[in-house]
Amino acid sequence: MYAIEVNHISKHFGKLVALNNISFSVAEGETFGFLGPNGAGKTTTIRILTGITVPTGGDAKIFGKDIVNETIAARRTMGIVHETSNIYTDLSAWQNLMFSAQLYDIGKAVREKRGRDLLELFGLWERKDDKTSGFSKGMKRRLTLAMGLINEPRLVFLDEPTSGLDVQSNLIIRDVIRDFNARGVTVFLTTHNIEEANLTCDRVAIINKGMIAAIDSPEKLKKTIQSVQSVEVALDPVPAHTEDGLRQIATVSEVRKLGDKFRLITEDPPAVISGVMAYAKAQDTRVISVNTYGPSLEDVFIKLTGLEVRHHGVKTVD
Amino acid sequence: MTDQAEWFRQLRVELIAAWAIAKKDMLIYYLKPNIIVSGMLFPLFMFLAFAVGRPGTPSVMIPGLIAITILFSASSIEPVSIPLERRMKTFDRLISAPVSLHAVVLGESLSGFLYSIGIAAVPFIAGIIIFNTPVINAAPLIIGVLLTSFCFATMGTLFASYPTESPGDIMSMLNVVRLPLIFISGIFIPLGQIPAIAQLLTYISPLTYGNDLIHAAYSGTTYFSPVVDIAMLLVFILIFQFAANRLYKKFNE
Repeated sequence: MYAIEVNHISKHFGKLVALNNISFSVAEGETFGFLGPNGAGKTTTIRILTGITVPTGGDAKIFGKDIVNETIAARRTMGIVHETSNIYTDLSAWQNLMFSAQLYDIGKAVREKRGRDLLELFGLWERKDDKTSGFSKGMKRRLTLAMGLINEPRLVFLDEPTSGLDVQSNLIIRDVIRDFNARGVTVFLTTHNIEEANLTCDRVAIINKGMIAAIDSPEKLKKTIQSVQSVEVALDPVPAHTEDGLRQIATVSEVRKLGDKFRLITEDPPAVISGVMAYAKAQDTRVISVNTYGPSLEDVFIKLTGLEVRHHGVKTVD
Repeated sequence: MTDQAEWFRQLRVELIAAWAIAKKDMLIYYLKPNIIVSGMLFPLFMFLAFAVGRPGTPSVMIPGLIAITILFSASSIEPVSIPLERRMKTFDRLISAPVSLHAVVLGESLSGFLYSIGIAAVPFIAGIIIFNTPVINAAPLIIGVLLTSFCFATMGTLFASYPTESPGDIMSMLNVVRLPLIFISGIFIPLGQIPAIAQLLTYISPLTYGNDLIHAAYSGTTYFSPVVDIAMLLVFILIFQFAANRLYKKFNE
């Protein structure tokens, strides 16, 4: 049985098509990334899979339970960590956690035990009786995650769990996600942090304009765009107009300045390395480091979602 | 587990969740300034504005004040709490919990109901201590206060289904309904003296039946039969509850 099974789901808001006939499945115990630009349909998909919104067409099952007709039974198996840290800031961390537990019908002794374990896990036990209005963004996020886990779910929806967080919170949350994987908990992760998806997900789906553009393991997706390999070089000293000069090397399709380094996008890294050496000699400068890279998941994302990298950032094509 | 056992299990879960939601509202919203103003001060000043200088004994005025207090206080919590929860996205937490929308609506209404009973105790106690206004028959008072409070709490939850993040939007709509109810429900003008053309309107006001019951506790007489009053309040509660459930579902789609 799949943890999540989505069959031909569509969602229309008037004339706007938010989701257009999407299908995918997530195996039990899998960590599944759901990537897409803003407005691609990620949040709508999560709202349908958690039974908040009803699809216009198609159906979805959570551990075999139809999310529209067996909503409550399906929800009992899941924990939801919403994109916003939706905690009650007039209540303490402990009150927030106990409230969540009561919504899931968890008995007093069990919820108090789990509450303590979770607050300790997320480094909030010492602040359990403090009103959460005084918590930092990272602490609020950690509490939101704790509230989503109070029912020990078999499936966890994580909507942008680490967005804009401090290093400590990021590390704690990533450790928890890894721990899910070890315990066989299924994770449905939406994130803007493509590297995070690359490191944590067994498979990722890339959604764009309400349709699934690709779905596979990160490594297999990267292999689909071998034309986007790159060579990263650092020069000392850096001659004037280096970007323009490097762009003249044969087979270089694009040059990105990354701090004190330059990344040259190419489909032929060896030829580019020779070109860089020749350029350095001609400019009387030293090449102090050279690294080659295969395509990143971000490259796949950019290619499949129709985004275009410019000198000063990323813009949407349409 | 048999279907019947599962049904009872889920009912228990729904009631526990509803109570948890009500308790949460009590902790967070009861002392919010806009709720104190709309739930406590507004009915008092409304009553003073229309009652001062008019002929009437305390035994006539006190039940009217109790009825107005219930109308405003019971329907004041949800129109503030629910838009604020939408703004803070905590409402998503409620509607994605493994309980039905009925439990969410019931929980929200319960907080208004309990708040209203607490506030209505003020004019009741003032009537006894300050104005020496005895209750002739406690039964219609208890039933009237309980049903009217729950009825208007559910009405507040119904209005709060309008998908806005601003409490002011809902309060404005709610006052368009609440203010006329005061004048067509027999509080300032006895039902028998209301012009014939307005009589029909009195029948569609839940406050008419609540006020009739509360008034009976002090006067010993009712305009309608107590059975009619109780039945009509129950009908309004059911209508508001199911309408609220339907609208929350519709607006979430």
